[in-house]
Amino acid sequence: MTTTLAGGRAARRQTMRRIRPRRSPATVLLLVVWAGAAAVLGLWWNNTPSIADDTSRILNAGRITGLLAGYLMALVVLQMARVPALERRVGSDRVARWHAMSGRYTVSLVVAHVFLTMWGYALQGGRTVSDVVRQTVDSVNQLPDMGKAAIGTGLLFLIALISVGGIRRRLPYDAWYHVHLLTYAAVFLTFWHQISTGNDFAVEPVAKTFWYGLYGVVTALVLWYRILTPIRLNLRHRMRVEAVIEETPGIVSVLIGGRKLHRMGAQAGQFFRWRFLAPGMRFSSHPYSLSAAPRPGMLRITVKAIGDHSARLRELTPGTRVWAEGPYGALTAQRRSRGKVLLVAGGVGITPMRALFETLPGAAGDITLLYRANTTQDLALWDELAAIAEDRGARLMYAVNSPDGERPDISADRLRQKLPDIEQHDVFMCGPAGFAQSVYEALRGAGVPARRIHHESFEM
Amino acid sequence: MRKSHPVRRVVLATAATVSAVVLLLSLKPSSDPGGAEAAGAVPQQTSAAQESPQGGAAAAGQTTVTGDAAQTQYGAVQVRLTVSGGKITKAEAVQAPSGGTSTQKTELAVPRLNQAAVARSSADIDSVSGATYTSTGYKQSLQSALDKVKAAQAAGASQEAGAGTSPGAGTSPGAGASPGAGAAQVRTLTGAAAQTQYGPVQVRITVSGGKITKAEAVQAPSGGTSTQKTELAVPKLNQAAVARSSADIDSVSGATYTSTGYKQSLQSALDQAGG
Repeated sequence: MTTTLAGGRAARRQTMRRIRPRRSPATVLLLVVWAGAAAVLGLWWNNTPSIADDTSRILNAGRITGLLAGYLMALVVLQMARVPALERRVGSDRVARWHAMSGRYTVSLVVAHVFLTMWGYALQGGRTVSDVVRQTVDSVNQLPDMGKAAIGTGLLFLIALISVGGIRRRLPYDAWYHVHLLTYAAVFLTFWHQISTGNDFAVEPVAKTFWYGLYGVVTALVLWYRILTPIRLNLRHRMRVEAVIEETPGIVSVLIGGRKLHRMGAQAGQFFRWRFLAPGMRFSSHPYSLSAAPRPGMLRITVKAIGDHSARLRELTPGTRVWAEGPYGALTAQRRSRGKVLLVAGGVGITPMRALFETLPGAAGDITLLYRANTTQDLALWDELAAIAEDRGARLMYAVNSPDGERPDISADRLRQKLPDIEQHDVFMCGPAGFAQSVYEALRGAGVPARRIHHESFEM
Repeated sequence: MRKSHPVRRVVLATAATVSAVVLLLSLKPSSDPGGAEAAGAVPQQTSAAQESPQGGAAAAGQTTVTGDAAQTQYGAVQVRLTVSGGKITKAEAVQAPSGGTSTQKTELAVPRLNQAAVARSSADIDSVSGATYTSTGYKQSLQSALDKVKAAQAAGASQEAGAGTSPGAGTSPGAGASPGAGAAQVRTLTGAAAQTQYGPVQVRITVSGGKITKAEAVQAPSGGTSTQKTELAVPKLNQAAVARSSADIDSVSGATYTSTGYKQSLQSALDQAGG
């Protein structure tokens, strides 16, 4: 815990170091991604001396969309490889949104690629656009690796279908997740036809090497960070449930013991993906934030019962083995750029805020926590928060509905009235999307620059 | 957390992608700018031949050899090699199966086989999966071309002393100055590229003893139906050029532009032979 650094020069230095914000590498990464896309288009450009007629226009449009889809496919998988730079610096929530966005775009490119290429081949063979289906059957039968590619493409379309908003909401999360894992099979199956039928890889050995390199690196990262790293983590720390505590009606804390847990490098504000090896819970893993800074022998998560999984947590018995992956998340002290910090929590969004409230370095009066809940009974962990506030001279405020159910006023004016120097604060925020959106607008209205509002949201 | 506008994003992404693809396609010329490049390659060969020390024989000059056509289930495959210093510097298929999926397979396999032939400088190359017949035919024709190179080298070596002054040996006009180059008395001449509506046509002929022993199109219109027309017309025109040994050959019906261009380029090659 950081309290060991209390007082003295070391603590001040630590504080100053913490306050220098680490920039998110998002901009650099996006530039690299765009440069890669430009290189892929350049490859096509180089290998295409001329385009004589409409048939070759169509075929070349098919090639361009195919090349881009092949390139993006690798990146879509990479985004879910749990690479620490993405998970902890860019932020898991943002990367997940990128993944969803680029996934949809890639599937659209695949649709365009298949249609355009088959249309072009049909025209080349003296057929018309109405023979696209027949041409597709012929090509799948006769060209190398096209059978695999057809199966892979079918899988991709299935995965895209179940990820459509309305369908996904109707499916249980675990079913959706496990079908979604078939993406790996789809990518593997569609990879080979790119190499064996792709014009550009036939004539450019450099391009072929680059393509193998791209997919090879992504495969290695997936194996390393999604499989080997968690295995090592769990063998080393051997976590088990120590106790389950009901905080308020519907909110439970799970205490998790293990070996050398402070060595996992978890910071306040981060989360793990938890899998409890109890009957009925073995096959699903869920992200829950740490609700206290990690201690050498103990981690704590606090969870609101909203779904199947979270409701079952209260039935966990001490001694249950726990499989965790992480730590992930970028909502940590490293995002801070100012001495003063306002933490805003909505409901069970208190969990990461509670951990930050305790550990963010700061003098008395620097740290403020605003806690929004429906009623005072719903203010989970309140006693702890009050004790921390007392201990370090931080401010603690809550906003609950009035007895007649009216929502509290969280407006720009009201925020400025409570915190006159609010524009001098960094704001960390965690809560449901609607709440976060309205607070964000209030904060902006009160003069807090957007770059100092740090927020994590797992809604797509 | 700015407000997200999913519909706007979809519209923007679609519009951006479509316009980028259309822009890229429209920036490409409709005929092959490689014509100038191919023409430029000829003087290069010439200078290489001139720079080579006297008596460099077969090794110094570039030799172009065409293998025997190998018959496959889907049509003939015939390979032409450019050999320099005992190595294959260029390989290409003069004939390959075409029509329907055969065209696709040829487009798929031939560039790869060409590459492999250059990389290995031997006929011991891997087949392209999915195009086994074409690959096998290709390797046969490649082997026959390599055999011819060997025979020519042996002949060249034995003739070297005597044939040292044999004029006109070489791969291109101007190379005649390099004495003792490989295949004596056989000259390969490339005509000027003739522009047609569908792209340039350029003819290369091999002349031996005042006769055209071989004619081939180095460039011809390609892409879509042009590919098919080229595949249809060029072998016939090649044949006619060899049979007549002149540029006075019949046009192939249905491929008039290509035929006209072919005849122009052929005439220009013959002019070089005469001059």
